[in-house]
Formats: sequence, C-alpha cells, structure tokens
Amino acid sequence: MVATYLRRAYTSFLAHVVDIPPRLLALLLFLILLVFPVTNPKFSFMLLLSLANLSAIFSASWDLQVGRTGLMSLGHALFFGIGGYGAAMLIVFWGFPAWAAIASSALIGALVALAIGYPCLRVKGPYLSLVTMALPLIATGVVFYFKDVTGGERGLFGFPRLFPFLPYAQQFLAEYYFTLLLLFACGIALYKTANSGTGIVFISILDDEVASKACGINTTRYKLTSFSISAFFATLAGAVWVHLLSAANISLLTLTTSFLPIIATIWGGIGTIYGPIAAAYILQIVDRYVLNEVFPIETHWHMIIFLVVVIIVIIFWGRGLARFVTDKLDDLTEERNLDERGPHIWKKYKKKKA
Amino acid sequence: MIEDILINGAMTSGTLALLALGFTLIYGVAEVVNMSHGALYMVGAYLFFVFTTIFPIDLLLAFVLAVVLTGILGAIIYRLAIHPVVDDLLASLVITVGVTIIIQELTIISFGSYRKPVPSFAQGFLTLAGVKVPNATFLAFVVSLILFGGLWIFLAKVKIGKAMRAVAQDHEVAMLMGINTERLYMLTMGISATLAALAGVLITASTTRLAYPHMWDTPLYLSFSIVILGGLGSVKGTLVGALIIGYAEEIFVTLSTLYLPGGGFLKGVVAMAIMMTVLLLRPKGLFGKRIEMEE
Repeated sequence: MVATYLRRAYTSFLAHVVDIPPRLLALLLFLILLVFPVTNPKFSFMLLLSLANLSAIFSASWDLQVGRTGLMSLGHALFFGIGGYGAAMLIVFWGFPAWAAIASSALIGALVALAIGYPCLRVKGPYLSLVTMALPLIATGVVFYFKDVTGGERGLFGFPRLFPFLPYAQQFLAEYYFTLLLLFACGIALYKTANSGTGIVFISILDDEVASKACGINTTRYKLTSFSISAFFATLAGAVWVHLLSAANISLLTLTTSFLPIIATIWGGIGTIYGPIAAAYILQIVDRYVLNEVFPIETHWHMIIFLVVVIIVIIFWGRGLARFVTDKLDDLTEERNLDERGPHIWKKYKKKKA
Repeated sequence: MIEDILINGAMTSGTLALLALGFTLIYGVAEVVNMSHGALYMVGAYLFFVFTTIFPIDLLLAFVLAVVLTGILGAIIYRLAIHPVVDDLLASLVITVGVTIIIQELTIISFGSYRKPVPSFAQGFLTLAGVKVPNATFLAFVVSLILFGGLWIFLAKVKIGKAMRAVAQDHEVAMLMGINTERLYMLTMGISATLAALAGVLITASTTRLAYPHMWDTPLYLSFSIVILGGLGSVKGTLVGALIIGYAEEIFVTLSTLYLPGGGFLKGVVAMAIMMTVLLLRPKGLFGKRIEMEE
C-alpha cells in the first residue's frame, strides 16, 4: 500500500520535474544551494546568500504584479518597508516572538495592499506608476513624523535574531537554510499562482484590460488579488530582512530599494517568475561579493553600473536580458514575429494619435 | 493669520508653479513623463554651489552657467536615454527614474553625502501687507511669474513655440509640415531642464540653502502631484494645481504649528492626498488635455 503511493509519487516526480529541463535545472540549483554551506561556511558569505534569497522573493513578487498583470509599480519598497517596520515594531513594542511578528506583518502588508489598492488601481498606466512611486515617499514622511515609535532617522534596532537558542557560530547557517526554504516555498507559490487559472486571468488583463472586462471578468478584483499577493510576499521578505540585519531603518523605503526588483526583473526576463529569482541571486553576489572582494569598486558605482545595464536593456531588448537570449534560441528553430512572443509590458501605452 | 496664509500661500504657489512648469512642458510636447526633473533640479543647485564655492566666480554668472549647463545636460539625457523609447510612456518613465538614481549616486561620489551650502541672492526681509517675506522667496515668486508670462508669449508668438504647440497637437502632421520633431523634442527637454535648474537654484536659495544628494525627492513628488492634479500637459492646469497645493500646504503648516507639532513632515502627505482624491474623481486631472493655448 505504502509502496504503491511511493511509486506513484516517484513517477509523478519524474514526469513533472525531471523530464522538464528548466524545472530540473531549478531543482539542481536548489540542491547545490542546499549543500553549498558545507564547502564554505563563512559568516559573511552566509549572510550574503541569505540576503540574496530574500531579495529573490522580493523580485519575484514584483514580477507577478508587473510582468504578469501589468500593474507597473515603482513603489514596491512600500511593502518591504511595511514588513520591516511592522515586524520590528511588533517585536519591540508588543514583545511578539519573531515568527509571529513575521507572519502577522506579512498579513498586515496584504491588508494594506487591499486598502490602498482599491483607490490606486482605478488609475492606469503611467498614472499608476506615479501614484505607487509616491507611496513610499509618504511612508517616509509618516516614519519621520512618528519618531517615538519608528525611531526616526536612526531606525529601530536591537531585537533578537531568528534563532536565539543556537550558538552564535550556527546562527548564520540556520538563517541561510531558513531563507532558502522560504525562497523555495515562496517561489513555488508564486510560480503556481502565475500559472494557475487566476494567473491566466492576470495575463489577460495585461494583454487587454477592456477585452477581459468584456468577457465578464471583474478586472478590479483580479488586479487587487495580484496586488495583494505580491504585497504579501514582498512584506514577508522585508520582515525577514530586518531580522538578518537586526535593524529597521529608512533605507527600506528608498527609491533604490524599489529599484532592486526592477533591475532583477529586467535582467532575468519579465513575466517569468524564475528569471528574477536567478537574477536577484546574480545581482546580490555581483554587488556584495564580486565588486567588493574580487574587483573592489566603490559601492556607489555598483548601482550606476546596474542601472546603465538596465537602461540599455530596456532600450534595445524590451523583454529582458534572459528572455532576449531564449527568444533568439527559439528563433533558430522557427522564425516568429514579435507578437507571438507572449505578453509585452512595454509598448502598451503608446502615444495616442490625435 | 489670514494675511499670513494669503501672502505665504501665494509665495509657495508661485515657487511650486516654477517647479512644475518644466515637468508639464516636456509632457505636453513630447508626452514623456520626465522623472529626472527632480534630479535636474538637484544638478542646478549643485552646479551653482560649485561655481560659487569651489570655483568662485561672479554670482550672476554662476547662476547663468549653472542653468545653461543643466539645460545642456537635459538635452544629452534626452538624446541618450529617452529618445530611443520616446513613443513608449512606461519605458521612458522607468528609464528616467533610473537616470535619477544614477545622478544621485554620481552626486554622492563627487560631493559626498554631506550637505553643501548654497548662497542666496538676496538677504533680508520685506513686508507685504504686514507679513514678513524673505527677499529670496519674493525673488523666486517674481521669477516664476515672469517665466509663466514668458512661456505664454513664447508659445503664442515665437515660431519655435508655435511649432511646439503644433507637435503637441499632432506630431505626425507637424512632421509633414516640415517641423523637425526630434530636434524640437530635444530643445523642449533642454528648456525643461533649464527651468528645473532655475527652480533648483532659486528655491534652494529661498528655503534650506543646502544642497544634498537626496534633495530631488520633494520637488519631484511635489511637481508631479501638481501636474497630475492639473492634468498632465496643461499649462493652465499647472497654475491651478500649484495654487491648490501651495495654499493647502500653507494652511496645513499654519494649522499644524498651532495644533500638531512636528506636522511639517506630513506636508508631502497632504499634497499626495489631494492628488489622489482628484485622481479618483477625475482620472485625467482637472484640466486633462494636451498642451493648449486658452484664448
């Protein structure tokens, strides 16, 4: 009886994971990351990879919202900041345990997304980008105003790590495995959402909102769903992030933070979900390891280099660096025109003809 | 207190209008939401700092140099980053935000993240209807009025201004009539950057007198809340939006000094709240049309 179930699970695993090259690749990468710390268990490197895991979750959540639904948001840092400040405040002022603080701040993030999404999602295109970009700026003002609660410019710090019961040497390792499992779970959840029935509705909204409405789809509801799922994962990432750095400060809410997922998504391919995860990894490693230790450059140049690459990619290969490569590979077997290549988030808001 | 609100509100509105003018001009003509407007404002202030403190030259000459160089920088940014995606609103929006961050990081690299003093043109106060107004603020107000009038005449009478209106109405037909639209867009972006730099120098001199690498954010979101409030690309709408936001801010600040200590941090929240309310009621803003000349 048990043997039958095991065999069935095994064949299903073979059919759904091993036989599909991209999924097999993802699984192999996951396994490599799982055994990686055995080879190089340095604290700094563990912390770097943990941060990479979290920024991968953050980027993938942005991709669900923008690459799959077309809600071009430039203020995703708002949710990252809500997660960070929410978790920190719950711990410092109400004495929540870390796990409860992370879970409840993620829920708070999703609820806030529902509340602000309802008015904001009525505006479209560039107006939506402008409004969402303004939200973290408003949040910054609010943080500075409630200095006593948020710590103002210095921020909140001094809360316990995620695994306080472990000896110091093993904490970074434990945090790495925790974030890696979190990334695995969130990545699968986001990917599944993007490819479920709901995800197909998201793509129809991206392609043509008016036509989806004409098919009887309540577009507002689906846009809200996408917005708050994305916010949930971004908040989760932010809440764990402050635990790794043991500090919640105003840098969580800056425009630079909003641009992390944008850079990762444009490098990794828009609307793929797995692309941004890979690119976020590469980005973090290049940012904090390659450009710091192998070819040391001053920190402020990193962002400039990344952004110049992003601008060049947007100008020449609108669907992202990785998608450009896969498109070209597909074209080798069969020539296709641009429209057959699936959703395209740019070129939607063209200049209107008078 | 009423006189305070009236006079100070007028001053604030005037300077805000100056801030938003360039933003609305480039949207009206080329339909580019130029998010690097705040960064160009900052470049103006920093160049003025360079020409007055690091390489001290005559104050007026420094002002002119700062403004003109920023204008040229704006045209270069247009040619390199915006021109390839000029018919794509979202792509140009993301790219210009990227340009803003690049300029911010370059500023930190070259000047450090500390605050730099920006000298003022005019010291002292003058009294208008019993209200003390700093001379620098009054200067910014007057320059703003002159520029508004000047832009009005420029769009109505000068050949290039007429060409700009033609392109704003229909850029394809304008092209058929022999207008070099690409060059005109570049020129518009240059003028827009010049206006941003003017605002940068004058407003910084009249408020904080400090230049720092994150100074672009307040002017940027103020200018886009004004411009969205009035309707993207409408000069009349910009004036009305600036009046609304300026007076709302002034009323809020005056009331907050009485009832809400430290409310200055929430000034931006008020502007954004007004913008969002208007967007919900009228998604195109109050005067959401193309750039127009109201006869």
